[in-house]
Amino acid sequence: MNVRAQISMVFHLDKCIGCHTCSLACKNIWTDRPGTEYMWWNNVETKPGTGYPTLWEDQQRYRGGWDAEGKLKSTGKAWIVANIFHHPSMPTMDDYYEPWTYDYQELFNAPEGPDQPTARPISLVTGKHIDIEAGPNWDDDLGGSPVYAANDPNLAALTPEQRRQLFAIEQLVFFYLPRICNHCLNPACVAACPSAALYKRGEDGIVLLDQKRCRAWRACVPACPYKKTYYNWSTGKTEKCILCFPRIETGQAPACFHSCVGRIRYLGVLLYDADRIHEVATMPDEELIEAQRSLILDPFDPEVLAAARGNNVPESTIEAAQKSPVYQYVKVWKLALPPHLEFRTLPMLFYVPSMAPVMASRQGDTLDHLSQDLFHDIEQARVPIRYLANLLAAGSEARVRYALRKQKAVRWHRRSVTVGDVDAEVVRRMLREADCSPEEADAIYRLTALSTFDERFVIPPGHREMGVETQQDPLMHKQQAGFGFIAGPRRGL
Amino acid sequence: MQTHCPIRRMMCVQVMLLASFLGVRAGLAQETADYFRTRCSSCHTIGAGRLTGPDLKNVVERAGASGKDREWLIRFIQDPQAMIQSGDAYALKLQRETPGNAVMPTQPDMTRALAGSLLDLIEAESKLERSQFGGAPISLAPFTPEDVQLGRELFRGIRPLAGGGPPCISCHTVGGMGTLGGGRLGPDLTLVNERLGGPKGLSTWLLSPPTPTMQSLFKVEPLKPEEIHSVAAFLNQSAQQGVPADMSGPLTFFLLGLGGAIGGLALCDGIWSKRFRAVRHPLVHGQREQGDE
Repeated sequence: MNVRAQISMVFHLDKCIGCHTCSLACKNIWTDRPGTEYMWWNNVETKPGTGYPTLWEDQQRYRGGWDAEGKLKSTGKAWIVANIFHHPSMPTMDDYYEPWTYDYQELFNAPEGPDQPTARPISLVTGKHIDIEAGPNWDDDLGGSPVYAANDPNLAALTPEQRRQLFAIEQLVFFYLPRICNHCLNPACVAACPSAALYKRGEDGIVLLDQKRCRAWRACVPACPYKKTYYNWSTGKTEKCILCFPRIETGQAPACFHSCVGRIRYLGVLLYDADRIHEVATMPDEELIEAQRSLILDPFDPEVLAAARGNNVPESTIEAAQKSPVYQYVKVWKLALPPHLEFRTLPMLFYVPSMAPVMASRQGDTLDHLSQDLFHDIEQARVPIRYLANLLAAGSEARVRYALRKQKAVRWHRRSVTVGDVDAEVVRRMLREADCSPEEADAIYRLTALSTFDERFVIPPGHREMGVETQQDPLMHKQQAGFGFIAGPRRGL
Repeated sequence: MQTHCPIRRMMCVQVMLLASFLGVRAGLAQETADYFRTRCSSCHTIGAGRLTGPDLKNVVERAGASGKDREWLIRFIQDPQAMIQSGDAYALKLQRETPGNAVMPTQPDMTRALAGSLLDLIEAESKLERSQFGGAPISLAPFTPEDVQLGRELFRGIRPLAGGGPPCISCHTVGGMGTLGGGRLGPDLTLVNERLGGPKGLSTWLLSPPTPTMQSLFKVEPLKPEEIHSVAAFLNQSAQQGVPADMSGPLTFFLLGLGGAIGGLALCDGIWSKRFRAVRHPLVHGQREQGDE
């Protein structure tokens, strides 16, 4: 057993209101530079929808991730020779969008006329006026749904009837999917890089890209099935989400977590067995979810703790792992599910699926906006279970049903506790069916609805002083840090 | 017995001085002869008749008879082109007598002193009955069809040169060299025979080529006399046919290159035909077109 620590995340989709505050917090801190305008290390997508870049989930087009034999889909030793200067599965700028700003002078300089003056959009790439055709959230809130939402790859297994219902008037449904780098256990971007510029940090599993080693091969861009590595066309280096590691190292939550108004984000340490990654990543699709869960180890198991200490995992990290909200959501409660595990990169960002309650139902030719059932039967959910299973459970409807049923049971339980207008026997039956005790239901409720900052973000101490100690006297380093010149990335070698 | 005879002593010194002086002179003379062999003997003989340039036997006397002194000759050797351009009547007469009105090339390393020693050398060699520059070891046997055939093969590089030098065709062309013709770096050799005063002049020229390019190529890898004979036979025949090289050669070459380039690009276009694949644009615009139908 090779026990390592991984900083993992849970996003509670039922709480996301799609405000994009996380995206803006990230953009303002990290991608507000020339060449990064089009990058959204954090983006929020409307589902159903095609996302950003367009149809990123369709690996027929982008060839990201691993196949079941454990080989990269995007490249290979022989294949790279014939395609060394151009990767045919690379997203084009048009697949992301052409970044733009506005020519605000037009508002002031426009001659007097019958129309309101408008600020014309200017491309941030060419500096010329453009007609905007797409943006990073062009299909936000189902905008242009006949084109975008209808082509969501996760709809593939749905019957035509289910599709029709999904897009029927007064039945339209959508939810939001905020996305950052998943900091995978089996990252395809790291494997694809010919310059070994990408690496997974030993102490906390954050996947980083060394700007000095990057040689602009861009092999990571098609390789990442989540399309979360971005090529900076100005510096000639690829960049990606760094999970705000300078903040993590000083005990602060990453900017997108910190700024989240819906408090949907949880961050904590998981202990996992690194020896079994290859074995798990090559399992059949239907076994993947359980296999990935089995990789995550119990931080209270003495055997695991001994192995962790033997691997130089600091005591403080073990303590953080024991308090990890992610461990509760993923392993104990089994509420949070990994996105597209069938890409086999073993993502370490998990989503609690949203309930999407029925708000109206059709009664003949009229619409009834009052649901008889307070919390509807999950099989009647407007978002088909099949769809959520394609998105979050590698096609396994049972896992999604389990997570939704437990969430529903928690709501019934809390309704009976706080309002008391539901039959206690019904609640007990529901909890039993959902494999949930009243204590667990209270714990889920507490962490979901009432959790404080420190409960949501259990950040292990960075112990930079230990890292510095291997190089120089930490006190001396403390005096010197911050002086000198930072060499920015430069194109070429 | 030790005598101090000042006269004998002085004589000793004089003998030593003379010896060293003669030694230097002898060394100089050898250098001058080598210079003449490499630079002059391809066009000039001493006492063996005209090649491209005139026979230099008794050249000083001949010039004197025309009223030109040694100083005039030194100036001519130093820069023949300038003398001709200055309109000197005797220089122009010399040029008219040369086959093809060729002008003696100006040697970049020629100095006044060197020109003087060359004249000294020519005067000395003129007095000999048989000068060491009285004709080159070239075959004067008549050309046979086999010689011509062999020369053609040598010219085209089908048969390699014994010394390992590059074949003529890599820089030169002659009439009848096929569609692509030969190289364009050197001159067309169809009528070279006439320019260099017949097969004899050509052969001597090839024995030690005086031009900088040829010299640098064939100084270390000289042509064998029998190779010279064959090549001269081939060039002699091509001069008799007198058909200059086909001018369509460069055009054909260009068109072939253009065709090859276009073909190569088309092949690449086929192999990497998926390179302009896009996702968003076809998705959005394809859908709209379907909707319009």
